[in-house]
Amino acid sequence: MYSQYIRLYTWVVCLLLISLSADAQRQRTRYSHLPRPKRVFAPEHPRYVQPDARQPAIYFPQAPLPGKTRKSIGLVFTTTPPELTEEIRVSVPAIDFNIQRGLTKRLYAIGRIQTQIVQSNVGAGLRWSSQLTDRLFIAPGIDITGWFGALAIKDVFNSQAYGVQAFPSVSVGYRFTRDVQLTVKSEAIMDLYYRSQVGNLAVTYDRRRVNGVAFTFMLEQPFYKQQHVSVGFRAAYSNFNWQLWSLYDTFDRNLFYPQFIFGFIL
Amino acid sequence: MKSVIYFLLGVLLILTGSCRKNYEAPVPYAFNNTPGAGHFVPSVRQSMEGVYAVSDGAGQFGGQVVLKWTYLLNGADTNHYLSIFTGTDAGYFNLEGNPKADSLVLNGYWRKLVNTSTGLVQLTVKSKHNGRLQVYDTNKLETADTLVLEGLYSNDKASPTQKLTLTYRRPLNSRPFSIMAHRSGGRTSDLLPVSENSVEMIKLASRLGATGIEIDVRYTKDGVPILYHDNALNLRLIQKNGLTGPIENYTYEQLNTLVRLVNGEKIPTLEEALETVVTNTSLSLVWLDTKYIGPMDKVQAIQQKYRQKAILNRRNLRIIIGLPTTEAVDQYKALANKDNTPILCELDTAITRSLGARIWAPRWTLGPQTQEVLAMKAEGTTVFVWTLDEPKFIQEFVSQNNFDGILSNYSSVVAYYHYSEQQ
Repeated sequence: MYSQYIRLYTWVVCLLLISLSADAQRQRTRYSHLPRPKRVFAPEHPRYVQPDARQPAIYFPQAPLPGKTRKSIGLVFTTTPPELTEEIRVSVPAIDFNIQRGLTKRLYAIGRIQTQIVQSNVGAGLRWSSQLTDRLFIAPGIDITGWFGALAIKDVFNSQAYGVQAFPSVSVGYRFTRDVQLTVKSEAIMDLYYRSQVGNLAVTYDRRRVNGVAFTFMLEQPFYKQQHVSVGFRAAYSNFNWQLWSLYDTFDRNLFYPQFIFGFIL
Repeated sequence: MKSVIYFLLGVLLILTGSCRKNYEAPVPYAFNNTPGAGHFVPSVRQSMEGVYAVSDGAGQFGGQVVLKWTYLLNGADTNHYLSIFTGTDAGYFNLEGNPKADSLVLNGYWRKLVNTSTGLVQLTVKSKHNGRLQVYDTNKLETADTLVLEGLYSNDKASPTQKLTLTYRRPLNSRPFSIMAHRSGGRTSDLLPVSENSVEMIKLASRLGATGIEIDVRYTKDGVPILYHDNALNLRLIQKNGLTGPIENYTYEQLNTLVRLVNGEKIPTLEEALETVVTNTSLSLVWLDTKYIGPMDKVQAIQQKYRQKAILNRRNLRIIIGLPTTEAVDQYKALANKDNTPILCELDTAITRSLGARIWAPRWTLGPQTQEVLAMKAEGTTVFVWTLDEPKFIQEFVSQNNFDGILSNYSSVVAYYHYSEQQ
């Protein structure tokens, strides 16, 4: 247990030393008498972005204009934890569709559908966005999702399951001067309801409990011509993942579910 | 500035990469394994088995538990162990009598298989006579007296300080039922003290509630049947040694010399495993899961050899070859002589009937399949279900009373629901 922290600490220290060393070498080769070039676009530059301008984004915590809608479509790849799938590594992509609509200047509604055909997840929620500084934004929110799956495979499965989860979250976004936006989102994962059925036999769990946490790191930026994309990583550390309901995980332990997320903002 | 960004990104990568926590659940108690039962003579052991109500300690272990004695044979010696199955979080106790104590004292540990919770336990057997607890004496036990196990438990390795009281409620359900432990006793991922598919796990299986075991059979490069689950050597099952790839690429000598399972055991041969079952345990069923692709004759020969040995040792033991796939069915059909080769078919009822298999074992994820199960039973076929670990479904399958047995990684949960079922 402690060895894990020591290993982590050692890595961080090594990384710090490497970073400082690289910086020092750069400092030595730099012509100190020349003015350091600006690494941001000036306001008159064609690619300069106003701090409060609305860039195409789904994860960035800034509300769409009231009555306006923004959408994205992409894929989410979830890697299965070895505790559940043992020697088999599965990373089946889920189609990921997002829609958001501005309700007021700050309040906006979100909707999300993820599907792998035999199992799907539909979510809806609200966000309240605030601008903290010129380029820093924040949005607390909550999503309620319902997931459901059904498998009918000869000699293997005659199973269905569905459940409801809640995801209270806080997103913090930083808008760089070049039209790149970074969002860090923290979520709590809460179980509200679970029902599983095999044949005509069903069991339910309706205890409300915190199931885990998740952190998302998302970059949103131009991709090609007028197109923008969301690309990022979600680290979920939880006791249950809807995509793996058919594995009937019995561990009362939080497992790590890394997710790679990619989406085109429409 | 750039270095700061690199640093932050690096920290982020390390943090996300470090999220995979290593869970451990070391056994906090060292067993003395003293041969014999000490003060726990057969009449005492017999009277202790049953369903008990939990008063002190119910918050941790639930309101009801099941007590069952098991034993392990070591040559002329016998070691007796008391298991307690809690039904909460796949919990179990393993206890042994304290030979140094004057009274009926048990020491050991408890564990919850779904997580890493564990701790020490000390219990004393008493009887409640006219509402007062007294030293338990089978000769003085009156009809109205109640058996009580009273003592303390702790968390982890701390000295036991929390009160635990178990009061006898009723005898165990005596309906014949096979409680089969997956991978010879349980999964390595459940953090048991010994590795799956090892001789040591076979010896532990009864204490986890099993009356039978399922083991995974593969062939080495030189054709020795061994026990191993996965397709390849990997760190999930073995200690780091630089060897990778299919186990079929290695000779038995190489595996025996170079490979150790995660808890330090050798990969056993099928013969070593069955020898342990016959000579050391009271297990009544071994299910040989066919993980290999190739001729079945070597496995059949070993199965028949140990069947004969079990008969000679007057052991009630069935050794059954499992047929999970059509390839395995073909391997079975290719056998020159199928006499005295009991099989278990995991495919549909039509194939099971066509093979003349005496056991049909569908997956639990197909549901109770009541009509098919009752039809097969009416034809004299035994019906098992596998591999069922979900406690609520275990409870449902047991209470439906249709199946003859359940294969599970949590044999302690199956044992709890089976033995506590009201007849």
